[in-house]
Amino acid sequence: MASRTVAKDIITLRGSAAIVSEFFGYAANSILYNRGVYPEESFAKVKKYGLPMLLTQDEGVKSFITNLTAQLSEWLEAGKLQRVVMVIMSKATKAVLERWNFSIETDSDVVEKGVSREKSDREIMREIQAIMRQIASSITYLPCLDEPCVFDVLAYTDTDVPVPFTWIESDPKLIANPQMVKLHSFDTKIHKVDTLVSYKNDEWDEQ
Amino acid sequence: MDLDKAHTLLTSKTPQFNTSSNFNQAYRQKLIENLSLDSQGRPFKIMVFRGSPKSSRKSIRFVDELRQEVAAIFEKDCKQTPYRCIPKGEKRVLDAPRLRNDYYSNIMSWGMNNILAVALGPELYLWNSEDQAVHKLLQVRGGNDWPTSVTWSEDARTLAIGYMCSNLQLWDVESSKLIRSLQGHSGRIASTAWNGHILTSGSRDKSIINHDVRAANSLASCIKRHADEVCGLKWSTEGNRLASGGNENLLYIWEASKMSSSKFLHRLSDHCAAVKALAWCPYQNNVLASGGGLSDGCIKIWNTEKGICINNIETKAQICGLEWNRHHKEILSGHGYSIRENQNKLCLWRYPSMTKVGELGNHKSRIINLCQSPDGITVISAGADETLRFWDVFGPPTAGAGNSMVSDLQGLLSFRTSLLR
Repeated sequence: MASRTVAKDIITLRGSAAIVSEFFGYAANSILYNRGVYPEESFAKVKKYGLPMLLTQDEGVKSFITNLTAQLSEWLEAGKLQRVVMVIMSKATKAVLERWNFSIETDSDVVEKGVSREKSDREIMREIQAIMRQIASSITYLPCLDEPCVFDVLAYTDTDVPVPFTWIESDPKLIANPQMVKLHSFDTKIHKVDTLVSYKNDEWDEQ
Repeated sequence: MDLDKAHTLLTSKTPQFNTSSNFNQAYRQKLIENLSLDSQGRPFKIMVFRGSPKSSRKSIRFVDELRQEVAAIFEKDCKQTPYRCIPKGEKRVLDAPRLRNDYYSNIMSWGMNNILAVALGPELYLWNSEDQAVHKLLQVRGGNDWPTSVTWSEDARTLAIGYMCSNLQLWDVESSKLIRSLQGHSGRIASTAWNGHILTSGSRDKSIINHDVRAANSLASCIKRHADEVCGLKWSTEGNRLASGGNENLLYIWEASKMSSSKFLHRLSDHCAAVKALAWCPYQNNVLASGGGLSDGCIKIWNTEKGICINNIETKAQICGLEWNRHHKEILSGHGYSIRENQNKLCLWRYPSMTKVGELGNHKSRIINLCQSPDGITVISAGADETLRFWDVFGPPTAGAGNSMVSDLQGLLSFRTSLLR
């Protein structure tokens, strides 16, 4: 590959936190749409990451995600957030059907010393775009969610983080004997986000 | 190479990998550890967000909604009666040479005496529908004048003929004599309408004149409200309201008692083209249907009491005539030019649902006028292709009043249930 100087942008801790929490907001919307947790008609198309992204128009869900990403951004800036998990459960039985796991690795140097890093914005966008495409195409192998579902968001933080008013301590809501698929990751040079989806084995699958 | 051992290993069916389950266990253990301990091996805290209540709306799936919709439509279809047969072809075609291809004139009228009066160019003919006898009433000499509007009086004793040169004549048909000539207009008379002894005429000079044909000085009132030629004029069946349509796309509703003061009841500007086709509903008081010209193509149903449009259908074609079916709740529209559909056709619409019931179309070029027989069964369409076509589209008449109630009961009795796959 011919070497060329790609214009790099300066990424600060705050900027990186904003990128990651924004990513999570759009990813959550995409999962809710693609997995059919909410009816398709309740979503509207917007342009983001160079893709048509679908955002919910339901006021309740909108404010839920907004409040959530605000808190995540705060934790990211403090370097205390380790993982965000979106859990999809059956409304009737509350059994966990799917787990969308976003692991976060934070560069502790940046948090402690306040330095900034350099990376091309466009490259980060491209990496995120790849993940978004993978989420959308995941419906090809994920089992059909035939029943009405609800979702929850878990945050894995350092043990010294106080539990905020709007959160409560919880169990990890794991799936027994899950199937797992690892998706792409993206890196802002300050936060590295890995995506993994685990789901309950479909009855049709043979062991 | 120990061939025997190799052969045994290759062909034996029992799984040899008894270490596999152990391996799997270890892997899963590692995985669980991975899931509950972070990269540094530190345990962490797990929290679930309970910030704001999520929408508690039921997520209805689109497929289920579709199923419900289809089931509803199916049920509705089952309840509808089988529709009466609408004839595909005309009962009769009369040759109408030199019939003028002019949208604005109203050159046809079928009187209560069963005589059809039709102006073909400068000549006016009478056709008797009982014995099909043809009689030429008059011929205008000179070449620059011809009848532009023909209307029988309600008792069919007098025939009112309006001319290109703005003359208005009253003829007694039995004796084939001109009784009276009425003055007042300065432009061609495009439309005329009778209301008892009042003859109303609308002209290119933008005025509407009410003549009292009994009085010596016939001019009862003259109204100058329209901004262009008055091409549509119809009195309501009770005779209390007059609808006038103009080439400036306006439709005025007038009250008979207030006409001398030029005060209109309603001024309706919804149409985007000339309003020539007007027809009052025979079964609902004060309901008027109006049809627009080429750029409009809409049939609008009005409540003239309140002056509001209660229904609107886009036919996408120039409307030259509207006729209500007295026997069934329907309305027929005659069409001229169109860029899309319904060109040169007659369309039958169910009232009040305004669903298209049928279409008749044999005219080679646009339809200019429509009129209805006194018994309300036949409709004649006069076309620019120089033909008069007779359609028995409004029959058969149903016996007894309240025919709509009968058809509903029929529908209920014929309701059939069947499985929706």
